[in-house]
Amino acid sequence: MSKIGPLIQRYAKQELRNSNAIFSLGLYLVGITYLTYLLSGQNTADSTWNTLLWIVIFFGAIHQTSRSFEFESGDYFFYYQSIAGPRETIVAKLIYNSLYLLVLSITAWALFTLFYGNAVYNPLIFALGLALGCIGFSAILTLANGIAERSGKNATLSSILAIPLTIPLLKIVSAINIQAMVGAPLEEVREMIGSLFALDLAIGLLAYLLFPYLWQD
Amino acid sequence: MTGRFYKALGVVLVLYSLIYGLLTTVPDLPIIEQSIRNLFYHVSMWFAMVAMMAGSFGNAIGFLRSDHLKKDQRSVSLAETGMLFAFLGLFTGMMWAKFTWGAWWTNDPKLNGSAITILIYLAYFVLRNGTEEPRKKARISAVYNIFAFVMMIVFIGILPRMTDSLHPGNGGNPGFNSYDLDNRLRLVFYPAVVGWIFVGTWIASLRYRIKNFSK
Repeated sequence: MSKIGPLIQRYAKQELRNSNAIFSLGLYLVGITYLTYLLSGQNTADSTWNTLLWIVIFFGAIHQTSRSFEFESGDYFFYYQSIAGPRETIVAKLIYNSLYLLVLSITAWALFTLFYGNAVYNPLIFALGLALGCIGFSAILTLANGIAERSGKNATLSSILAIPLTIPLLKIVSAINIQAMVGAPLEEVREMIGSLFALDLAIGLLAYLLFPYLWQD
Repeated sequence: MTGRFYKALGVVLVLYSLIYGLLTTVPDLPIIEQSIRNLFYHVSMWFAMVAMMAGSFGNAIGFLRSDHLKKDQRSVSLAETGMLFAFLGLFTGMMWAKFTWGAWWTNDPKLNGSAITILIYLAYFVLRNGTEEPRKKARISAVYNIFAFVMMIVFIGILPRMTDSLHPGNGGNPGFNSYDLDNRLRLVFYPAVVGWIFVGTWIASLRYRIKNFSK
């Protein structure tokens, strides 16, 4: 388990070296946010604001995690297999992807606030919803991408596998965020946050248990 | 001929529920009226589906533990049969919804759950078709199958209970248990569930044998 830290550092370094990927993701976020702003105008209802934000984050997340195992394909697979076991790899990937998605969604939130103005009444609950959503997303998308990658590099396959699995998660997260936007107190959303947390835990545990079967040849 | 007994029992129970389900007296309730008989046909489909998917899930775990390709074949045969029940459950449910709720499709958590379940298992078949090497295919699809089954239980079993639903027993609607009659309905409903599970197992075993045969 001591290898998790260095592995995360390694993924981050690879990503930073590959500045083209970060740049294109940033451009996507700015471009799509501005496009939705042009199309929907300044006076959007809360539910529209939230839906648009989640669509932007959702496709950003799909795009980002579809590159999860970019560097582990081909011969490099054996190299990575030799430097770390499957359990360490999946934990490192999950932490790394969760953090990455968190940065992505906070950026999207900031951009939405910039263009539309602040629509969130209770930012703390909103951020909590985002963070828990990102953890669940990263687990589902990473596992689905691992499956697609091992089955032979079908780029669309990972979205086909992941999208139906993420729908319930999205529904809970966006319900929490709507509550945060209208300013509901913590007591009212506590139950939803609890169930989201339990769902995250279950998904994460499944990914952890199942990944070793993928990480072999 | 193995398992002749369960096959015969399955057929008898299904026939009994199909015929006696139409003949038996049912409680007279507003709105739902005679359509309550659909309990025998619609709800038993979902029970049979969950049973098939559970069998598929069990065989997927069995494959990962033992590496026998037989288990993988069983797993996919059961998932295909479960899919058949899912579609049948969806169609019978849509008919029931049209006559009691007034629409073929509503934005109800249970309906969303079953639609998502169907999408997940269709993705499972796409995944299987996209992979060539049998052992790798079996391993990868077993991983997805296990993940999918657990998520399915969350979608159709846990999430709908947390939100309002038009289905009985959710969101202030009374559960079927509170419709006094129970005993009359149960007398047909439970045999229907058991019968369909047996018939489903039979269908899956036939699919499994056809698969082995054509190889």
